[in-house]
Amino acid sequence: MKEKEKPFAFRGKYLLLGVIIFYSVLFLVNSGVPLSAFKKSILILMKVMPIFIAVILFTTLLNYYIKPKQIASHLGRESGAKGWLWALAAGVISHGPMYAWYPLLEDLRGHGMRDGLIVVFFFSRAVKIPLLPMMVDYFGWTFTLVLSLYILVGALIQGWIQEIIEQTNGFRPYR
Amino acid sequence: MENNTKQKKQMKKPPQKPSFWKILHKSSLSFWAMAPLLLGVIGLVGIFQVLVTPKMLSSLFRGNFMVDTLIGTLTGAAASGNPVISYLLGGELLAQSVSFYAVSAFILSWVTLSFVHLPAEVAVFGGRFTLYRNILAFVFTIIIAVLTTLTIQVLP
Repeated sequence: MKEKEKPFAFRGKYLLLGVIIFYSVLFLVNSGVPLSAFKKSILILMKVMPIFIAVILFTTLLNYYIKPKQIASHLGRESGAKGWLWALAAGVISHGPMYAWYPLLEDLRGHGMRDGLIVVFFFSRAVKIPLLPMMVDYFGWTFTLVLSLYILVGALIQGWIQEIIEQTNGFRPYR
Repeated sequence: MENNTKQKKQMKKPPQKPSFWKILHKSSLSFWAMAPLLLGVIGLVGIFQVLVTPKMLSSLFRGNFMVDTLIGTLTGAAASGNPVISYLLGGELLAQSVSFYAVSAFILSWVTLSFVHLPAEVAVFGGRFTLYRNILAFVFTIIIAVLTTLTIQVLP
């Protein structure tokens, strides 16, 4: 069956409009706050831009080399333990803010990725490998190791609970 | 002869794989469609970083470990930015005698929960998924903060 193409439409127009109105109202009250907030937002955007580009390229490569059926076999219903481990590892190595990964996850979800694995991905992101030395420096080895271990186990349990909720309610909570 | 031609016609052609550039164009377009959503979130993060200061956050802790764990989770979810900042703030909070329970909850919810990301998460994944994920992350942040503190107290 041929996949139906979605018509192009911008998403989050009202959110952006709401934010612009919020900035405008703040500007009337105190012009300094929205100006420095705007500068911060520009800096964030510049920092996040390489991650956005990487996500676009990654989505393209994934769609080019891997068939939807293969994605479903790695991350879908029949993926088993392999799917959980992929989601856990992807969460740990993923970089940047959570929202930068929304487009890729949405794409994978459209190809059959389980919601439980998305939950695992989001929570396991709390383990930040490049920041581990800093965490050890601030909180010590024991704290860092124990917390990281609990995060990974907690992520898997949450994913499992998410699947149970879906099965119990008999729906895939999508839109 | 005629039969052969008919058979050939009847044989289905394998679907042609779209070119790399076509897929790149499609991926870029779907990302572009999400631009207002992402810009809105970035705008919210910027305003939160200016309005919610570290001093404001640390003044919220009360000295009761149960209440502080809850406050740690909520303030971590309200704050936003690089996780490095959460470690710096966590270190400061520990120096001010705020419990490990609260600090663990704070640094964990900084990454796993975010109030400013909620509108975008709902738009992309749907309301029910977002609700369940955030409730699970909230509960597990508290459980993990308590378990981590109890474990490091037991360990030599």
